[in-house]
Amino acid sequence: MKLYIKIALCICILMLSACGNKKGNSVTEPDNSLDKCTLRFSWWGGDDRHSATLDAIEYWNYLHPDIEIKAEYGGWDGWTEKINTQINGSTAPDIMQINYDWLISLSNDGLGFYNLNKLCKNNENSSGYLDLSGFDDETLSFGEVNGQLNAITVSMGGRGLFYNSQVYESLGVPYPKTWDELIRLGGVFDEQNLYPLDLDVQSGGTAWYFSVVYVQQKTGREFISMDGDLGFTVSDIKAALDFYKTLEDNHAIRTVKVRTDEDGNGALYQSSEFIDEKIAGVLEWGSAIGKYESVLDDNVLESGPFLSDSNGNTNGWMIKPSLMYAISGNTDYPDEAAAFIDFLVNDEKCAEILGTTRGIPASCYALDALSNTGKIEGLSNDSAEMLSELNTVTVSPYMELSQMKEYYNTAIENVSYGVESTSDAAQEMYDSINSYLEKIKK
Amino acid sequence: MKIKNRKNFQNPIGVWKYTGLILISPFIIGFIAFTLYPFVSSFIIGLTEYDNVHQPKFIGADNYINMFKDREFLKAAAVTLKYAAILVPIKLVIALLTAMLLNLEIKGIGVFRTIFYIPSILGANLSIVIMWQYLFTSNGLMNQFLKFIGIAPISWYGEAGAALSIIVLLRVWEFGSTMIIFLTALHGIPRDYYDAAKTDGCGSVRTFFKITLPLLKNVIFINLVLQTISALQEFSAPYMITGGSPMKSTYTVGMMIYDEMFSYNNIGYANAVSWVLFIVIAVIVFLLYKLSGRMREVMK
Repeated sequence: MKLYIKIALCICILMLSACGNKKGNSVTEPDNSLDKCTLRFSWWGGDDRHSATLDAIEYWNYLHPDIEIKAEYGGWDGWTEKINTQINGSTAPDIMQINYDWLISLSNDGLGFYNLNKLCKNNENSSGYLDLSGFDDETLSFGEVNGQLNAITVSMGGRGLFYNSQVYESLGVPYPKTWDELIRLGGVFDEQNLYPLDLDVQSGGTAWYFSVVYVQQKTGREFISMDGDLGFTVSDIKAALDFYKTLEDNHAIRTVKVRTDEDGNGALYQSSEFIDEKIAGVLEWGSAIGKYESVLDDNVLESGPFLSDSNGNTNGWMIKPSLMYAISGNTDYPDEAAAFIDFLVNDEKCAEILGTTRGIPASCYALDALSNTGKIEGLSNDSAEMLSELNTVTVSPYMELSQMKEYYNTAIENVSYGVESTSDAAQEMYDSINSYLEKIKK
Repeated sequence: MKIKNRKNFQNPIGVWKYTGLILISPFIIGFIAFTLYPFVSSFIIGLTEYDNVHQPKFIGADNYINMFKDREFLKAAAVTLKYAAILVPIKLVIALLTAMLLNLEIKGIGVFRTIFYIPSILGANLSIVIMWQYLFTSNGLMNQFLKFIGIAPISWYGEAGAALSIIVLLRVWEFGSTMIIFLTALHGIPRDYYDAAKTDGCGSVRTFFKITLPLLKNVIFINLVLQTISALQEFSAPYMITGGSPMKSTYTVGMMIYDEMFSYNNIGYANAVSWVLFIVIAVIVFLLYKLSGRMREVMK
């Protein structure tokens, strides 16, 4: 009987420890040397990014045969959940490509990722394998949480408009410059059963992003501030939903029902409607446009102008750190991981291999390397150049949280299917967002 | 602890006090580590507010109270129950009828049994998703067929009822495991019963209801319970095929647990929902057991 009591006690202790926090785990301090080890590096993206990154890893393994890098990669869908699971189970990769909002969802006290300040060059307490002299202070500040440098910005960018030049040429119409022109184009494309643009509702709230830009341009108010305060009023949200509905009603984009019917649960760039050129435009991050480019003939996709109102006002378009690199707080090899990140963001040869598969590099060393070899080109660059001339708004990391995207998608879907008026959907979204932001900022 | 050599005439292999415990310890350790520990810790976490960033905060039964005010949970629960209520009877009937066909003694029956079993090992993976898209998107094979025979195309992915039906169809198509259990049970029914019934002039329908069905009652119950549990826990098929759309009409409780846990970091709430799902399944299985017990009494 005593044995059973002992076993039961052990089980209870184990179970109570389940509620413990991983922050109790000790963080491995840098030791100023590069030891033989194997590191895991994870990222998401399209085939172009996978291929370039694997080549870069091969080059790293040639330079550093003692530090082997194991690649873990895949598409965006389900990637956040995968990383969350790994972090929950303390099995996160040593080096991770992370999304901007993960700094809030996974490290809002700054302790969720390794503090990169400890690993920087010119820091008296650090081993100095990570050189951040190529980044400006503002770019670096995006990776800071609670005084800790949690991540390094790989590139800055925003969503831009990209059009199928063949389709536009065949219809004899120019790319739209204003919101009204886009809406009018819907009628022209409708005659041929085509669409001038499409917005992916399920993956990342693209439809809501587009509508937010429209309202930000119109009102000058930011949707959500960097501190996580909702800047839109109920009527602003309603205006955004009304605008979305106008796009659908005028055949400028597919309705949610048509999109779901035609693509199922698949991504837009994989859908036959896009590949067969029925959809002639997309709104996409400059750093991720390669996946759309790769399914069409060469040079068919072109970067289009950022839409303005009838007075030429182009405000309201947004930028953010497209991607970031972070080191797991549980890594046993912080020096080696820092050296690898330094290689990814600063090394000239690596920059040439990676090209613009992660957007235009934020590090001036990588940028110079690409400029010198004439590799700053392509859609990603075209879009970034146009965006750099606009008076942009920085996307709040709170805007991209998964739960927030759920609110956007629900409202867009309800409005599109006509099960809710834009007023009701706007009120519901306003209440849900406020309540959620209040909860996570506690 | 000193272990003496206990081998003797009465105990030829040296069994001692803890031998049994040691022999079953691999199972016990596995059970504690992978079943009991997650089971109890999940309950404890369900009583907390935990986001994987801050320390868990004990909030008592708040997660459970909030759940019944949460429209998303109530909708997901309704979808899950509806899905199970549609899927389980259809799957059992088709599996039983197919098993009866495959029980016939004809040449090459093994090939047919294999063909019917193969879908059940495929699950809901990427290749199935692609196949379903080829079949059910607006220009898919199914709509082309409907057009060919003069029926209006169906919005399989875009309409709530149709979207649920393609998930049901996938799971019905994967009836192989259920069918194998029925087939094994059919093999166990003595041939003499059918011969005697035939001699007495009993028709095939009457033979089915008076001989086959009563003798399969235990197997029907097992399949009913297994399929009900499996349907109530459904996750992968709607997650892969529809993503819960349109308008959450295929969004099951399993998907909700996944989202709350891994997408929204609402870990306490996700565990509370898991426990409610567990209790609902336990209650339904208990009711099925009671109901089938009565039916078995009637069929005796």
